[in-house]
Amino acid sequence: MRIALSLIASLCLAFPAVAQDRSAEIIPMVMEKAVDDFIRPGYRHFRQTADDLQTSMRALCAEPSAGNLKSARTAFGQTVSAWSRIEIVRVGPVIEDNRFERILFYPDRKGTGLKQVQAILATPDESAAAVETLMDKSVAMQGLGALEFVLFGTGSDILANERSGFRCRYGAAIAGNLLRLGGELAAEWDKPGGIQAAWKQPGPDNPVFRDGREAITALLGILVHGAEAIRDHRIETFYKGKDSKAFPRQAIYWRSGNTWNSIHGNLEGLRSLLDRSDMVALLDGNSRSVIASIDFVTRSLIRMTEDMNPDIEAAVADEAERARLDFLLLNSKDLIMRLSDEFGGAIGLGAGFSFSDGD
Amino acid sequence: MTRSVLIDRRVFVKAAGSAFLAALAPRGALALERAGAVFASGYRAPDGSFGLALLSERGERVAGIDLPGRIHGLGFCPATGKTVAFARRPGTFAVVFDARGTSQPVILTSGENRHFFGHGHFSPDGRLLYASENDFDNNRGVIGLYDARDGFRRICEFPAHGIGTHDMTVSDDGRLLIIANGGIATHPDFGRTKLNLGHMEPSLVIADATTGVLIEKHVLPPSLRQLSTRHLAIGKNGRVWFACQYEGARNDLPPLIGHFGKGEDISFVGLPEDTTIGLANYVGAIAINRQEGLVGVTSPRGGLAVTLDAKTGKVVHEQRIADAAGIAPGAGGFAVSSYGGRFAATQSPVAWDQHIVRLALGR
Repeated sequence: MRIALSLIASLCLAFPAVAQDRSAEIIPMVMEKAVDDFIRPGYRHFRQTADDLQTSMRALCAEPSAGNLKSARTAFGQTVSAWSRIEIVRVGPVIEDNRFERILFYPDRKGTGLKQVQAILATPDESAAAVETLMDKSVAMQGLGALEFVLFGTGSDILANERSGFRCRYGAAIAGNLLRLGGELAAEWDKPGGIQAAWKQPGPDNPVFRDGREAITALLGILVHGAEAIRDHRIETFYKGKDSKAFPRQAIYWRSGNTWNSIHGNLEGLRSLLDRSDMVALLDGNSRSVIASIDFVTRSLIRMTEDMNPDIEAAVADEAERARLDFLLLNSKDLIMRLSDEFGGAIGLGAGFSFSDGD
Repeated sequence: MTRSVLIDRRVFVKAAGSAFLAALAPRGALALERAGAVFASGYRAPDGSFGLALLSERGERVAGIDLPGRIHGLGFCPATGKTVAFARRPGTFAVVFDARGTSQPVILTSGENRHFFGHGHFSPDGRLLYASENDFDNNRGVIGLYDARDGFRRICEFPAHGIGTHDMTVSDDGRLLIIANGGIATHPDFGRTKLNLGHMEPSLVIADATTGVLIEKHVLPPSLRQLSTRHLAIGKNGRVWFACQYEGARNDLPPLIGHFGKGEDISFVGLPEDTTIGLANYVGAIAINRQEGLVGVTSPRGGLAVTLDAKTGKVVHEQRIADAAGIAPGAGGFAVSSYGGRFAATQSPVAWDQHIVRLALGR
């Protein structure tokens, strides 16, 4: 069954009266900017860095050297950075066909993925060294976590000496798989009439958003859930506060020193989405200071991640670093509240706007 | 996405503070009962903290209890007077307290490698507490059994015979477990991200309450495989009513409410198209007023509360309520709450969670 076009609902039926006039025109504009200026460029950038990573891996396999290993490791960090920015989008094509977990299987609390990667390195299986067959294996073996171990884990120095070795070719296949996934995501969002059209034009016959309120709720949901993920799934996975035991080897990308590169990317993604989508236009003049305060908190968090020690084991053992971690925990909570309550409230969404997400 | 932090009892008490336990102590509870608390529901306060409130028939707040996290579903046992409130998924704590003031509150946690799905129910005699839980590493729902005579110790678990288990309840005679498997795979490592929207497996199950053995399993047809069967309520004659949330295209109009009896196929209620549109493919809660023969549902996304005649399935009342959240049988139909602070006839500056439990017999 499809909703009949004759049953057209108002674009902004549930918005407060004050906000309705503004939102009817502004919401489609905001959604268009979010798609065209953040989401699509974000996936394209990820695809490009994955392409560069594959090139670096292939060069390393063909001409192993310390320099080429360094280049591949640098390309890995750049791919992590690009993914982390767009990773905050956890809706749409990325959660179809297990793409999200294929790109990043984390956390791996029981070491399941690590054991699988170690096993295949110990007993090479050529089907893991080709993208076409790697994609049918465990999701934990085909993404950034697996490639991190290949490039930085125990025994990775061999990559600088062994020409076309299995470890290198497996790593190149992972890079190729990331390129494949990045390409699929970019293509899904670039497809005319596809999800980009659904996001840009909320309406009664739209397969994703029936009205502007649903669309803007989803957009704000990316920000709130993204901020929650930084606190709950990136920082608290290894540090829950000064009175709790730390687990530095549970930190994302701890092995490659990319923990803060990733969290920095997540925060930059939040700031960039808020800025590029021009969500401030949803607010009247009296409440636009909300955006300024959110930007201030986000920038403070970003600056702090730039000063953090990438050696997580050393960081959690150092009093000054722990104070910085406490700052991140406290201010990430503040960021969540400002996005959810202050910004959500200012655009007419109740504090519980994210409650109805599958319960 | 919510916090995946696993809260054990020690951490819970520390986080909630002594005021939490004091508020639930027998003396405090007796005072609450005298004051006429008939509903309980979770809420989020303006400062972002969470709690559980006890409310009067009109929705006036009788007392509030601070909690370290957000709660979701609740259950009440008329035989013992105990109420349970479960953490929202993927939470791991639940609180059992006594509105009659005869025992101390108990905090329980889900088993290792399990988290609560947010719902549960007492056996009619109150000796057992059943809870819907996620065996996340094996992607299957389970029903945890807790012994009320032994401090709500977790004694065993039954399979839920499906994945993405959400609501569950118990037949009036205590012999059957009725389980709503929403069919959506989630894992606490990925927060609340839905991991299998392309191949969901929703189902409704009747299992033996003593053994957990499967008695009936109703799998939805392929055309409705993205219709997540999530919430349950049992009518006076044992008829099971269920409410759904649709994960498919937003401009589809799937049926959202249905019912079945033991040994019967499931039947969907044919709602008027405007009503289905108003429910926005998302029914958040369902309740039954047995005395008045009514079924009530709410949709926060649609901002609508709908009352049906339990015999005919016909709509007898609709009310636009922005962010309509919880619903429970009340005087003259149903008490409805909202994320915006409405509760029955009252308004307060909190966001009510999606469920209400009535703390009394009779309705």
